[in-house]
Parts: sequence; C-alpha cells; structure tokens
Amino acid sequence: MSFGTLFGVSVVAGLVGAMSGMGGGVVLIPVLTALGLDIKRAIAVSIVSVIATSSGAASAYVRDRITNLRVGMFLEMFTILGALTGATITVASGRRLLFVLFGVILLVSWAALWFQRGRPWAPPAAPDRLSRWLELRGSYDDHVLGRRVDYVATHAALGGVLMFGAGLVAGLLGIGAGALKVLIHDLVMGLPPKVSTTTSNLIIGVTALAGTSVYLAAGLVDAGLAAPVIVGIVVGAFLGTRLLVRLSNEAVRRVFLVVLVVLALEMIARGLGGSVG
Amino acid sequence: MKEGAGGLEEAVGWILLGGVLLSCALLAAGLVWQHMVVPGTPLADPLAGTTAFRLAVADLRQLATGTLGPRLLVNLGLAVLLATPYLRVVASMLYFAFAAHDTKYALFTAFVLVTLTYSLFLR
Repeated sequence: MSFGTLFGVSVVAGLVGAMSGMGGGVVLIPVLTALGLDIKRAIAVSIVSVIATSSGAASAYVRDRITNLRVGMFLEMFTILGALTGATITVASGRRLLFVLFGVILLVSWAALWFQRGRPWAPPAAPDRLSRWLELRGSYDDHVLGRRVDYVATHAALGGVLMFGAGLVAGLLGIGAGALKVLIHDLVMGLPPKVSTTTSNLIIGVTALAGTSVYLAAGLVDAGLAAPVIVGIVVGAFLGTRLLVRLSNEAVRRVFLVVLVVLALEMIARGLGGSVG
Repeated sequence: MKEGAGGLEEAVGWILLGGVLLSCALLAAGLVWQHMVVPGTPLADPLAGTTAFRLAVADLRQLATGTLGPRLLVNLGLAVLLATPYLRVVASMLYFAFAAHDTKYALFTAFVLVTLTYSLFLR
C-alpha cells in the first residue's frame, strides 16, 4: 500500500469519523481491509490512531472544565481491564469472526448514536450511596444555555461493569467505542450529554493505550504503517470538526451515518462468506 | 470537582495537547524525510513483539548515538504518543495523592497506573 493511499484513506476516515460522531476507526478498518491489509493489523493500527484523536479532542474539553475527571478516573479502571481482555481475544480469534463482530458492533454503536439524537437530558432523582461516596458530581458553564449546570451521577457500580464491556469492544475492534461509552454515561449514570461526550474522550485515550500494549506485544503494530495513518486521521478529524461547526446540518450527519451502515453490512457480508484477505 | 482541581485540568489538558502535537510533528518529519530519500515508498518498520518501554529505551539509546533517520523519528513519534495518556495518569495520581490529599482517587489512579505499567511491559 503506497504512502499516498494510506494518508488519503486516513484523512477521509478522520473526517467522516468526526462528522458522524463515531470516530475514525469505524471507517479506517473496513477500508484498510478492503485494500488488502490483514484485519488484525488494521485493528492494531487503528487503536494506536485512536490515542491521538481522543487525546487531541480531550485536551480542549479538559481545559474548558467540561470533562469530569473523577468520573473519568473511576470508569477507566474498568475500561482498561476490558481493553486488555478484548485485545487478547482478538489476537487469538479467527479473522471471519472479527469481520462479523466488527459489523455487528458498528450497527449497535450506530443505533446507540441514533437513539441519543436530540434526546433531552433527564437528571437522576438522587445518586445512590456508592456514587455519593465516589463524589461523582460536578458543574460546567453551558454557553448555549447561558448558565452554569450542576449535576450528580448515579449507578456507579452498574456503570463500571458496563464500561468494562465498552472497553472490551474498544480493545477487541481497535475503535474508541465512544458511542457506547456515551450511552452508558447518559442512560445509566445520568450525566449531561456534554459531560458524557467529553469524559468519554478522556477515557478513550487510556483505554486505547491498554489495547495497544497487547497488539504491540503480539507484533501486530507496524510503525511505518501507523505513522501516515495517525497523521492522516488527526488532520481529517481536525478538518471534520471545523467543517461540522460551519455546516451544523443534521442532513450532512445523516449522510455519514448511512455510509457507516453500509460499511457495517459490508463487513458482516465479508465475514460470512466474502474475502477476508 | 473539588475546589483547586482546575490546576489538574490545566496540566492534563496541556499534557494531552503537547503529546499529540509533538508526536504528530515527529511522525510527519519522519515521513517527509523518508519521502525525500525514497519517494512514494512507505517506511517498513514492523515492531516485532516489543513493549512500549523497550521501544522508548531503544529510541533514546539510538538518539544518544546521534544516528538520526526517518525510522528513528517515526519510532520516537510513536513512543511519545504512547507516553501521552500514560503521563496524564501519572499527573492525575500525583495530584490526588499530594495536592488534593484525596486517598480514594489516588488509589484509583494508582490502580490504573499499575495496570497500564504492567501492560506496557507485557510481552
């Protein structure tokens, strides 16, 4: 695969990932495998690039005081264990199974994202005892609402267990699994959407690092392959975020969401009987 | 967030931003250098069964000998990228342990740090 192809594909993956809200990995892996790269190597390259995109996005949100560091620190105990487990499973798995799993989880993540669209935030009535002990609360300045929003999180134990699952998916498939993490933050723990998304970004970087360590040990990471992908996907994500602000159009986002469904179905079809490289 | 956590947020934000920018700069420099030497050919650099710590140590050792090249720049960029979230966890643990005196969260971040350290030594 030439340098130009790798770089170009990665810029597009970063752009579509940012504009759809699903992250670059969900585009990158199907395209790299379609170009002939082994799925395990594609997953390994993708998870390294996830560290770059999530850390870049998280840096701004953390300094804007929207990210809840305590919620992040508590939940990443679970996600890193999940990522280590997931990556270990991938290293040992058959390739067809990975194609099918990728497609199915992409569809589930897609449904999670679709479900959350425009849903108003309903704060939990009262936090449970564990969440109070963990001090899972915070506040942030909401520039759209023009006021400070105070919030508390609840169901910390269930949230932790489910985040192990989200970490497992991230490590297994080399993606951020941000849509699943945000769903858990929103629906189970009752965090406001902005805090959910930004805290998820923070957790994704550390989770991806845990997964990367397994792929590195398995000899699946090629630095020469990873370099243009990382630079490309960061450039694409940067452009995508800027474009999203300018377009601010739900119709554009829908187009990208349709692209992701097509990719998911294509991955399942390849896993069930097509070419897996 | 307790009062005073703003310092941690600033530190974490700058660690993440600085790490990603430095990493991308090193990776891009390595790729451009490679392109100038052999145009259009991707750099073949499989990291066979290594660990993040071994990668970083090998890079620094090579840097010390002064043998700079595209491969070293790319490997350094990768090592910086892997170190970025790791340093963020170290900074958080130090903050909770020594600035906030919050034993609970110092232990949580210590657990994350120990698990990550173990995984980064994994072979």
